Parts: sequence; C-alpha cells; structure tokens
Amino acid sequence: MNYLFHILIMINIYLILAFSLNLLVGYTGLLSLCHAAFYGIGAYISALLMTKLGVNFFLALPASILGAMLLSLLVAIPSFRLKGDYFILATVGFQMIVFCLLYNWIDLTSGPYGIPGIPNPSLFGFEFSTLPSYLILSLVFAGVCFFVMRKLVLSPFGRVLKAVREDELAAQALGKDIFKIKIFVFVIASGMAAVSGCLFAHYVTYIDPTSFTLEESIFIITLIIIGGTGNLKGPAVGTVFLLIIPEILRFLRIPDEVAANLRQMIYAILLIGFMYFRPRGIAGEYKLE
Amino acid sequence: MFFQLLANGLTSGSVYALVALGFGLIYNTTGIIHFAHGIVYTASAYILYHCFINLHLSLFASIALSLTGASLLGILIEIVIYAPLRKKGAAPATYIISSLAVYILIQNLIALIFGNETKILFSGVGKTYQLGSIILTQIQLLEGVIFLFLFIIFCLFLTGTKTGIALRGLASNPNLAVVLGIDVTKARAIAFGLGSFMAGTGAALVSLDVGIDTNMGLDIFLLAIVAVIVGGVKVLPGAALGGLMLGIIQNLVIWQASARWMDLITFLILIFFLLFRPEGILGRSRRVEEA
Repeated sequence: MNYLFHILIMINIYLILAFSLNLLVGYTGLLSLCHAAFYGIGAYISALLMTKLGVNFFLALPASILGAMLLSLLVAIPSFRLKGDYFILATVGFQMIVFCLLYNWIDLTSGPYGIPGIPNPSLFGFEFSTLPSYLILSLVFAGVCFFVMRKLVLSPFGRVLKAVREDELAAQALGKDIFKIKIFVFVIASGMAAVSGCLFAHYVTYIDPTSFTLEESIFIITLIIIGGTGNLKGPAVGTVFLLIIPEILRFLRIPDEVAANLRQMIYAILLIGFMYFRPRGIAGEYKLE
Repeated sequence: MFFQLLANGLTSGSVYALVALGFGLIYNTTGIIHFAHGIVYTASAYILYHCFINLHLSLFASIALSLTGASLLGILIEIVIYAPLRKKGAAPATYIISSLAVYILIQNLIALIFGNETKILFSGVGKTYQLGSIILTQIQLLEGVIFLFLFIIFCLFLTGTKTGIALRGLASNPNLAVVLGIDVTKARAIAFGLGSFMAGTGAALVSLDVGIDTNMGLDIFLLAIVAVIVGGVKVLPGAALGGLMLGIIQNLVIWQASARWMDLITFLILIFFLLFRPEGILGRSRRVEEA
C-alpha cells in the first residue's frame, strides 16, 4: 500500500511540473530546457529556510515560490529577446548556470553533499509525516496548480497565449505586448515548478544538485511531449504513463542497475517514435513548431 | 605561470575546437542543434576503448576503427532519424527533441554495456617535453598538432574542393543550393560524416589523455555549442577560434578563481554572446532583412 502511495505522491509532484511546463511549451510555444532549474531553486530555498532558519513549511513555500519567480525574471528578460534556436540555447545556458551554482556554492548549498534532514511540513501542530497525509498534501497542491492553470488557459488571456503561439506577429499587430505576456507566463510557470520542488524536498527529506540537472529538464519535457501539449489532459496522461513504466519494469523483475538504463532507453525510443509518427503526443492539441 | 596556462588552454582548447568545428559544420549545413553529436563523441571513445583494451588491437588500428565508427554513426543518425523527419516536413523543435532522445538512447546503451565508471586507457605518467618555461605532455603536444593539421585540411577542403564548396553553398542558402543541382541528401550525409569524424578525433585524444566515462560527451558538446556561438555561427572556421578561446579562458579561471567556476563562466559567456553579439566574434552583423 505504501508503495502505491509513494508512486501517487511522485506522480503529483511531476504533474505540477508537467502542467507548468505545458503553459510554456504547449500554450505559448516556448521550448524551455531549464525547468528543472526552477524546480531545484524551489526545493533549495524552502529546504534551506527550514533547516537553517527553522521557518515553517507554510511560510517557506511562498518564500520559495517568490524566490523562484524573481530569479525567473532574471532568466526571462534576456531570453525572450532571443528567438528559435537561440532561445533554447539560452535556456540550456541558464540550466547549466543554476546547476553549477547549486553544485559549487558550497557555503550556501553544501554542494554535492546536499542538504539532509529536511523536516516534514507541519500545520497547527499536525505533521505530514505519514505517506497518506503527504499524499493528501501533494494532491491539494497539484489540484491548486491545476486549477490555477485551468483558470489561466480558459480565460481570454489563455486565448492570447495561443495567439502568441500560433502567430506572434499577428498577435503583436492586434496590440498584444508579446514580451510582457511571455515573461508573465514564464514567471507563473517557474513559481509552479518551485511548488513542486518544495513538495519534493520535504517528501524525500534529502536533496542534492543531481536531482536538478539538464537531464531532469529533458525528462520533464519528455513527460509533456509524449503526453501531448496545448491542453489540460495531455501532460497528465504523459506524466502518469511515464512514471508507471519503471514500476512495470520492477514487476518484470529486471535488476535495478539494468532497469535504470532500460527505463531511459524506453523513454528515448518513445520520444523518437512520437516525434516521427505523432508529434502531438498521446492526447495533445498542439504540434511542436 | 601565465604562459604555461596559455599553453594548457591552447591544448585543451584544441580538442574543443575539433568537436566545435564538427558541430559547426553540421549546424550550418543542416540547421539542426545536433545534441547527438555529443554521443557520437562518447561512442567513438568507447569503440576505441573496446578495440584497444578488450580486443587488444594496436593503438593505431583502434583509433582508425573508432574514427570510422564515429563517422558511420553520424551518418546513420542522419539517415535513420533526421532524413525521415525532413521528408515529412517536420517542425524544427522535433529535430531537437529527436536529437536529445538519440543522445539519451545511445548513452544508456553504452552504460548498459560498459558500466558507468570511468575507464582509463593508459595509466602512469607519460613523456613530457620542455619548451622554455613551458612543460607539455606528449598527448598535449599531440592535441595541438593534430588540431592544427586537421584545421588546415578542413579549411582547404571547404574552400578548394567541389564537395566543400557545395557544403558551404548548402549552409549559406539551402533553397538556392537545390536549384543549382547540389545533391542535398549526399551533402548532408557528408557533413554528418565529416563532423562526426572531427568529434571522434577529439574523443580519441581526450580518452588517451584522461580516460573515458559515459557523460563525457554532453559536457564537451555544450562547450562546442558555446565555441560555435562565440566564434560565429555563420563563419565555419570561427568555431576553432571559439574553442581555443574557451580553453584559454577556462585555464585563466582555474588560475584566478577555481576549477569549480569554469562552467559558470563558460555559460555566462554563452548568454553574453547570445544577447550582445549573436553573430559571434568573426561574424558580420546583418540587418534583419538579410537573415
């Protein structure tokens, strides 16, 4: 039973990442390869606040959302002056910079040693230390993120986003400030990634920089590309599908050291297949451009 | 001290330059951010390792086989992955995603076969040479010499042969190249083969120097991207300049700060160039209408 709870919690954590990245890739047409950076920034800010300053989780969470949003401005303002390949390369650059800081700014982040002993969240004396309670917590957060995203994309603003995605010039001609719109979406998506980072950090209670690499960014992209982007169900389908694959391998009694590589290879083959046969993913609406 | 670091920078920069020239050629002629270039690099290092250590072939034969393997793998990726996408008229982003997927696929395949740990081809201290106050190891010297040799051949090939000119034509105007009867399929295969060969050379030098591991390709590929952007995307030999500069800058960072901040500086340079001089050092700035 605990095993099932664990999988469901991880699915919730990744759902938030997938939803938020979908705002960028699926709704605004921005292929960002630095989502894991904001996931990591969120995790680190709240882990540091709680372990070093003893701040309560429910204060650390908004602080880390805010922190990730501010840092995302720093990334967004220069990146959105770039187009196409150069935008993607800039996001790769920022991903590497954040990883390098997490890994090497040892005084602050303890570098490769990571941060151990991150406390479980607690509210009015109730500690979310058991798996079922943490599952409920993660479900609530994933739900809130889902509704924020739903509200956003179904509003008139969501249609503006799609307009930016389909034809930037036309949207601009209609008087939409593309630059501001993109920055707004990027900041929201980064804040949501930070929520996911907090949930992750306080769930596993130990974080180190290797959870927030370029490879992780690529994995988050994989979730939404295979599931499909540009609507609400695509990322959800992709996340559930891809997170269940490793569990299937476990049931097939494939040894752990082989399974890790095998899982990655399955993801890669799925990606190649989808890119060729069905670029819009399992349930997506938007075809990559 | 400064000159020693300069020499170290130039030799490690030579390897970056080789990989970057290969990537630059592919990027220019096909417009694909060929992430799998990094895995061609890793794969050729593992072919070298397998031939030399496991099969006990001579070093020369092992290198020859690994370079052939690298070129063939590059061409294979073009034929199996990119060419079908192109035939379908797929969107640019699908190439990048497919390329990343190929990288992940082959990297994990290598890890599955050979394991994740670092492997060393030569142990012990190699011969060193002293030139004035500078001390260089045999392999460092080799890195510099091979780079110079290949760079000259590369430039002669691009300017002096029909195939080279066709590749440059494809790079400068793909539509016009087709009209002029350049066989695009063949030209692209040549670009991938040649580019991968350059990556393989770099990989061979690095494996002889410091050994191999399954992650070696990603780091150097990212450096190659930075080198290409810094040198100038549209100017093919610019990648060499970018690679050498990165090598020198990295060594200066190690000297003045610490090796820990090497990556940080490298990627700050990338962002700086993307923002303020996207055409690179050697590139000519263009008006928007020209691009």
